[in-house]
Amino acid sequence: MMARKLEPLLSPADGFLPRLRKILSRWPLHVILIVTALLWMTPSIGLLISSFRPATDIASSGWWTAFQTPFEFTLDNYSDVLSQNRMGQSFLNSLIITIPGTVVPIMVAAFAAYAFAWMRFPGRNALFIFVVALLVVPVQMTLIPVLRLLTDLNMAGTFPAIWLAHTGYGLPFAIFLLRNFFGALPKELMESARLDGASNMRIFFRLVLPLSVPAIASLAIFQFLWVWNDLLVAMIYLQNPELAPMTLTINNLVSSFGTEWQLLTAAAFISMALPLVVFFALQRYFVEGILAGSVKG
Amino acid sequence: MPAFLFVTVFLIYPVIDTLRISFFNRNSTEFIGLDNYEYVFTNSTAQSALLNNVLWLVLFTVLAVGLGLLFAVLSGRVRYEAMAKAAVFIPMAISFVAAAVIWRFMYAYAPEGFTQIGLINAAGTGVGLEPIAWLVEHPLPYTDVTLPGPLHTNNFALVAVGVWMWTGFAMVILSAGLKGISTDILEAARVDGAGEWQIFRRIILPVLSPTIAVVATTLVIQALKKFDMVWVMTAGNFETDVVATLMFKQMFNFSDFGRAAALAVVLLAAILPIMLISIRRFRAQEET
Amino acid sequence: MAGVRFKNVTKRYGKVLAVNGFSLDIADKEFLVLVGPSGSGKSTALRLLAGLEEINEGNIYIGDRLINNVPAKDRGIAMVFQSYALYPHMTVFQNMAFGLSLRKTPKDEIKTRVEKAADILDITELLKRKPRQLSGGQRQRVALGRAIVRKPDVFLLDEPLSNLDAKLRVQTRAGLSKLHQRLGTTFVYVTHDQVEAMTMATRIAVMDQGIIQQVGKPQELYNRPDNAFVAGFIGSPAMNFFEASVTNGPQGMKLDMDTFSVPVPKDRLSALNPFLKKKITFGMRPEHIHNREFLPPGCEADGDCITASPVKAKVEVTELMGNEIFLHLVAGDKSFLARVDPRTSAKPGQDIEVVFNMDNMHAFDPETGQAIHTQKEKGQGEGKEKVEKSIDLPS
Ligand SMILES: Nc1ncnc2c1ncn2[C@@H]1O[C@H](COP(=O)(O)OP(=O)(O)O)[C@@H](O)[C@H]1O
Ligand SMILES: [Mg+2]
Repeated sequence: MMARKLEPLLSPADGFLPRLRKILSRWPLHVILIVTALLWMTPSIGLLISSFRPATDIASSGWWTAFQTPFEFTLDNYSDVLSQNRMGQSFLNSLIITIPGTVVPIMVAAFAAYAFAWMRFPGRNALFIFVVALLVVPVQMTLIPVLRLLTDLNMAGTFPAIWLAHTGYGLPFAIFLLRNFFGALPKELMESARLDGASNMRIFFRLVLPLSVPAIASLAIFQFLWVWNDLLVAMIYLQNPELAPMTLTINNLVSSFGTEWQLLTAAAFISMALPLVVFFALQRYFVEGILAGSVKG
Repeated sequence: MPAFLFVTVFLIYPVIDTLRISFFNRNSTEFIGLDNYEYVFTNSTAQSALLNNVLWLVLFTVLAVGLGLLFAVLSGRVRYEAMAKAAVFIPMAISFVAAAVIWRFMYAYAPEGFTQIGLINAAGTGVGLEPIAWLVEHPLPYTDVTLPGPLHTNNFALVAVGVWMWTGFAMVILSAGLKGISTDILEAARVDGAGEWQIFRRIILPVLSPTIAVVATTLVIQALKKFDMVWVMTAGNFETDVVATLMFKQMFNFSDFGRAAALAVVLLAAILPIMLISIRRFRAQEET
Repeated sequence: MAGVRFKNVTKRYGKVLAVNGFSLDIADKEFLVLVGPSGSGKSTALRLLAGLEEINEGNIYIGDRLINNVPAKDRGIAMVFQSYALYPHMTVFQNMAFGLSLRKTPKDEIKTRVEKAADILDITELLKRKPRQLSGGQRQRVALGRAIVRKPDVFLLDEPLSNLDAKLRVQTRAGLSKLHQRLGTTFVYVTHDQVEAMTMATRIAVMDQGIIQQVGKPQELYNRPDNAFVAGFIGSPAMNFFEASVTNGPQGMKLDMDTFSVPVPKDRLSALNPFLKKKITFGMRPEHIHNREFLPPGCEADGDCITASPVKAKVEVTELMGNEIFLHLVAGDKSFLARVDPRTSAKPGQDIEVVFNMDNMHAFDPETGQAIHTQKEKGQGEGKEKVEKSIDLPS
């Protein structure tokens, strides 16, 4: 107690010492953060380094020894993977699958979430609970009945089939998240817009969507990742190798080559590249606050 | 509403179909009553899978939410916020297949005396410990103690991978919630005399609780549905099966659709009350 | 109980100098109002005092204690935020008790203190509610209550009235003054509204662009603004400014505004002498421009009112305020505002004659904006005291 009272008397307001002390007083924060961040990155770094090592080295020594002499780095793994004739095509396929597989469910979910949050209709809450309860349905459980259905409709093994599938699987979570976010928007905003004569459509597009950009961005990146990295749904619904996305092609690559880890490491990084780009592009929305610009005296 | 069309086709119809199948024999030709359910609750493999799921549910959810929250709070207070978050987020961007490869590098095991190419065992043997087959063994690491039920080393190793992948999710959503808390409230608490810890416990945590509930609910569901992770790492061997992998095996390896369906129904039944509780919580919160 | 001292405090946000060389002594039990236009650095100064921002240069003391590096919670202050910043998940009671419970105050003492504060603020029946179930005015009182129960040495308030409607604002203004007397604590109050400043403050500090322009009692700022900024900021409606040349004519020194001119009163001659044949900024408050037919008491008998030649002006707009009328006038190319007797029957478009009460003239150096002061004797001019009583009326 005494020390605390005396301390400020002894130090000038501005200067080297207090500043140093401030940095030091925060060192546990920095240490925890940096150590955890490094810990979290270690496996990925290992993968990255391995992807540049020759096959024989990967299998015989740990990746962290790669920096010992003699240096042996190679781009062979990448050129091997990329030269697989289907890799370029499957990158494209992944895009073709992922973009509608992200956009469509979010659009549909946004409408539904708006209805659940701001429109009155009978059975609204029961219906919402029901939709959210569907979150729990394991995808594996639906595969066979849906596949049968799609086959009957002659849609099995087509892009629209997989778009629809991802939309169906993505919807409950998207509705769940967006409804909670929409519901938290200030009621007065909707009311004043309604008094101004705005229709539901207008309120939705001009007010709710712009205000929900952070939530939608978070949702978009997750849906994007899930679809991009999905193997199971693609495996079941898209047997045609011409249409296979990267995950499927890589998986086949691995199984047909046996345990050639070196190819997998390179392939993993190639398939990670786009999601990371998307993450950094949307990063702004995660780092900036939803209310960052709110009024302050 | 197109939303309902989608969920009907892809979710509701399968649920009903599954429910029906679960009362039939392996190829759905004969009604056998509750036999499939008897299997789920008495067969030792099925029991172990159920218990493993419980372990996932608790450990995975608590760790991922806890670490995600820690990260969201801490990284918001430094200038390299974006970098720190990216580090934790990267695993989310990795496909399960790739993640499995990464972690095989981490957990790789070679008998004592051979070169360890797995980082953890290399570090362990480096300080004189014996190497451990992380994905196989049951006793606690470096001891002879074997805990009962799901508390096996290989299960912990798998959960660790799950946590590694999903903490980024918890962090991103929680951090969005954190940013939504008005700085005025936090400053008011500071002026009121709250230290950093008290601000966290008495202001941030309660205000953030709806978001935490969203994240926890999502993770609980993930834990219960956990499939890919286990499938690619151990394929459920060495008693690491969870309900979803067992279901997959029943379906595609043993072609017993009845049992698979019964497992699915049990899973669904387990999750429903959790959902109901969390939804009730929301409604209660919105009404005050 | 403590005074506050700012010594040369500076705060930068990147390149923006939010608070610049800020020095201010606030006595114990004073109600000091920090007033200035939006963005002038008032909030920043208050937040520096609260410990919510770091000082770049200078020192702040509360009592005798240097508090630059004391965390906010140990400064013995309580703050009311413009947004009220009530904790949304706590009831009114919990909101008010929060600060005390953090200090491990015994439960029953918390209870008595909260109940007493609730009683003072008339929010006893709201104690069990949550903030979202309260109206704006009620929230504001809860925010006040949260500060009161802490029994702080210094009370900080940042625009606490700006989210209230006009009527409630007037009521609360009076309430705050009473509260200040009752608590006998130092208040530091930030507002952009000079009416609030004039009506509540024991002393006012006017800020602009991070710099204190003038500190003084409300009357001092009104009567003797140090510069054109303070002159224009304090008083409502705002002072009229004219560009004028100081000339010497047959009747003595005059302020010449091309289309009309006014004589300089005797006691200002020496001060204005250095500006002879130069330009000055001439300031006249609207309440010191009278309709010639209805001169206020004290103006007819002697003084410069009567010697001043009436100015012919055309009425553009009239605003009836009840007990007075605002006339928007034009004389030549100069337009100005006069606050005149309500009996005036002038209509827009009419020409009338107005008289400038030169006793109350203000003069400023056009380059620096500094007031050109005479070595004035104290308590000058009885008439002014009366005018002050009415300055808080409309805003
Ligand atoms: N956190 C901040 N970051 C950057 N600039 C700020 C910040 N807070 C205030 N400022 C700037 O400092 C100046 C003074 O702001 P403030 O003290 O809030 O003004 P006032 O309360 O008088 O309206 C303004 O120019 C404002 O833009
Ligand atoms: Mg302000």
